[in-house]
Amino acid sequence: MRPLDLTEKDPSKKVTIYFEGQPLEAYEGEKLPVALLANGIYWLTTSTEGRKRGAFTFGPVPMVLNGVRNVNGRKTRVKDGMRIERQRYDEFQETVEIDEGKPVERVVVDVAVIGGGPAGIGAVLEVQEHLTVALIEERGWLGGDLWLKGLPQEGFGEKSPHEVVEEMTSRFNGNVRLFKGTVALGVFEEGEYFLVPVVKGDRLIEIMAKRVVLATGAVDNIVLFENNELPGVFRRDFALEVMNIWGVAPGRKVAVVGSRPEDIVPELERWGIDYIIVPNPKRAEGREKVERLIDMNGNTYEVDAVITAEGRRPDINPVTQAGGKLVFKRGYYMPVLDSQHRIRDGIYVAGSAVSIKPHYANYLEGRLVGAYLLQEFGFDATPCVYEERLREYEPIPMTIQSIPFESLNLEDVHICGCGVSLKKVDDVVRKGITDLQIIKRLTHLAMGFCQGRFCLFNGAVVVAQRTGSDLSHIDLPVARPPLKNVRMKVPAGGE
Amino acid sequence: MPSRELPERSEIVIIGGGIIGVTLAHELAKRGEEVTVIEKRFIGSGSTFRCGTGIRQQFSDEANVQVMKRSVELWKRYSEEYGFSFEQTGYLFLLYDDDEVEEFKRNIEIQNRFGVPTRLITPEEAKEIVPLLDISEVVAASWNPTDGKADPFHATSAFAINAERLGAKLVEYTEVKDFVTENGEIRGLKTNRGTIKTGIVVNATNAWAKLTNAMAGIRVNIPIEPYKHQAVITQPIRKGAIKPMVISFKYGHAYLTQTAHGGVVGGVGYELGPTYDLNPTYEFMREVSRYFTRIIPALRELLILRTWAGYYAKTPDSNPAIGKIEELSDYYIAAGFSGHGFMMAPAVAEMVADLITKGRTDLPVEWYDPYRFERGELRGKALQMG
Repeated sequence: MRPLDLTEKDPSKKVTIYFEGQPLEAYEGEKLPVALLANGIYWLTTSTEGRKRGAFTFGPVPMVLNGVRNVNGRKTRVKDGMRIERQRYDEFQETVEIDEGKPVERVVVDVAVIGGGPAGIGAVLEVQEHLTVALIEERGWLGGDLWLKGLPQEGFGEKSPHEVVEEMTSRFNGNVRLFKGTVALGVFEEGEYFLVPVVKGDRLIEIMAKRVVLATGAVDNIVLFENNELPGVFRRDFALEVMNIWGVAPGRKVAVVGSRPEDIVPELERWGIDYIIVPNPKRAEGREKVERLIDMNGNTYEVDAVITAEGRRPDINPVTQAGGKLVFKRGYYMPVLDSQHRIRDGIYVAGSAVSIKPHYANYLEGRLVGAYLLQEFGFDATPCVYEERLREYEPIPMTIQSIPFESLNLEDVHICGCGVSLKKVDDVVRKGITDLQIIKRLTHLAMGFCQGRFCLFNGAVVVAQRTGSDLSHIDLPVARPPLKNVRMKVPAGGE
Repeated sequence: MPSRELPERSEIVIIGGGIIGVTLAHELAKRGEEVTVIEKRFIGSGSTFRCGTGIRQQFSDEANVQVMKRSVELWKRYSEEYGFSFEQTGYLFLLYDDDEVEEFKRNIEIQNRFGVPTRLITPEEAKEIVPLLDISEVVAASWNPTDGKADPFHATSAFAINAERLGAKLVEYTEVKDFVTENGEIRGLKTNRGTIKTGIVVNATNAWAKLTNAMAGIRVNIPIEPYKHQAVITQPIRKGAIKPMVISFKYGHAYLTQTAHGGVVGGVGYELGPTYDLNPTYEFMREVSRYFTRIIPALRELLILRTWAGYYAKTPDSNPAIGKIEELSDYYIAAGFSGHGFMMAPAVAEMVADLITKGRTDLPVEWYDPYRFERGELRGKALQMG
């Protein structure tokens, strides 16, 4: 077993990869950052400003793969003999292969469901008997955040999340077309249809749907402390993924920070990983990765990794790109919906894209939206049943943490993965600029790879805290396509 | 910082706080005039906010070449004086056949006559300037090293700060709702935040210019319509990889360059409208990707981070309307820049300030005569790229 393996891996899949020339044990099909983590390697890439970065929090992971630069480390699966090196963010491949581009496929369905978590699955199960559906899921598996969990979840009984998801998806019928490992670039109007262009590998597929369901989920909040982008800092979702999907530990001893340690601690206990909860982190330190965490009281904790658990908020980008409006409620921005859960005619929203609640409630909301859809298409359905059951689940409010500006060296606190420090943003706000559009332009906040998913909210928090204004009075800039980064050759290709 | 206080009165009021309004306020304040800019959102928030970065002198007629020659002198002077970045990294027009070469030879002759040092270069020379170029189909290029680029938002902010330092007032988040006139003379402007007394008004609202003219009750036909143009930006790459603005008429009227931050930015000729809609389209994403990757194949593997849209305020001959409107004294217009207003701004500011303060200007402002449309005297179409 490798130093951080939690489980025995299939010996028939054992391969050798080379990182910076050094041979390492890996397993066919493993994600590259996970294989490196299992071997104790956290530092994978370097920002343009020269800061070391890993793969398990915000920011891109460009790497050199078999001599080719600017390959996305997170999307790379290991193969025997693979050679991998580090690079700086701004290095790119100057000579490229030119092909005609793969032909663009067109798929016509009644409903396009974007997001394959419990809400997306619920919507599909509700409508599949009568309607054709394209289910689009960015990750390689269905189940969304639920699939990342190891412990049974409220509402689903004693079954493991994997059993729950497998049981639900095994009921998909022939009306369902599944697009796994597929990103949606946006929702565009095209006559009577909505055009949802999606990318699978390097292939562009145009999904034409009469209706769209955004089951696009929530994203984890970023915790602001010094060196919060150091390799070895794990966002909750990535920590769950390495443990529960890949059987690899984030570290031998980890610190849990953020206001919702309960979202990760039971899972650490399940695996028997040594942890400590640090409620008021000030600074992570280490040469190539986290070696210690220092709190506001000056206590030092020797740890291999830090896991941030600060709750989740709806991913608002798909909502605003599709033309939806937002409202600030319960500590986060959420879509404004009509009585049928629509942001506008034809576009429905369900799940944690709407509000934060248990997985089972998100599933019910998917069913609910499916029932509205059935009614719209003229079939019998009983949305009121789901409405009633949903009412048992009050959405969970998020507390907005006050940023301890005075106790932090703001230059070392990263608000986003593209080299934007908290200081940069705070300086602009303190000059009296409070419009996030201008802040974006002056600091590059929300103009990088994540399109603001992980930084815009904290930018709004800085404005609110510094000006004393309420977040409900702060307008967030809308997301622009593509919703996810896409290599230019993909939209360029095919006819 | 611009304030929200609306003054009770001002000698001159400029409607519109984009690059045109702000550079004009700066120029007038410099001459000791009392001037106020009224902007409905924030300074630089309209098309200026969404604009590419290009500043070029490579036009095809005498007036535009002269005006841009002057504009570049001013860009140079003010960028040094106020410390914003204006890089003279050149404009490179890629040419693919004899017809294009002949046309550009004529343009170059006009440009040279007014001291703009454009020359025709070989494909190999073009590749030396931008090593990433695919020159397999290029037969020549038109190259002027004194053209350049600047960040529109930073430049506008720098002019705004200095306009205020010189005494101009910039009022944000204030929208002009109506004109107060008496016997064909302007007395003031009504805004959503009160009335300001004034006798001289400049319409610098570009895409919204026809609405402003209608509000002023102007009857002369000045056809300016908003068109949706879109832009793209890629992930940042090594600085200096693409220094000049590269233009290719053959490939979709594409223009592209690299921003100071490192991303590759640009657009194509693809136009929708007239419309005030600003949602980026899927067709644009496909088209821009297709054309850009033909010009620079390495872009194939770069990630698109974002697309967005802005207005070209277009006139039938792609030249702005700049001048005094006689039927309402004293009403001026500087609008309809048709996609190349940012680069013109410092010279336009000089021309309009001359008209207001001296009644005449040495620059060939009559080319942009607002009455030309009604008289049916359209100019030769101004080159309308980046």
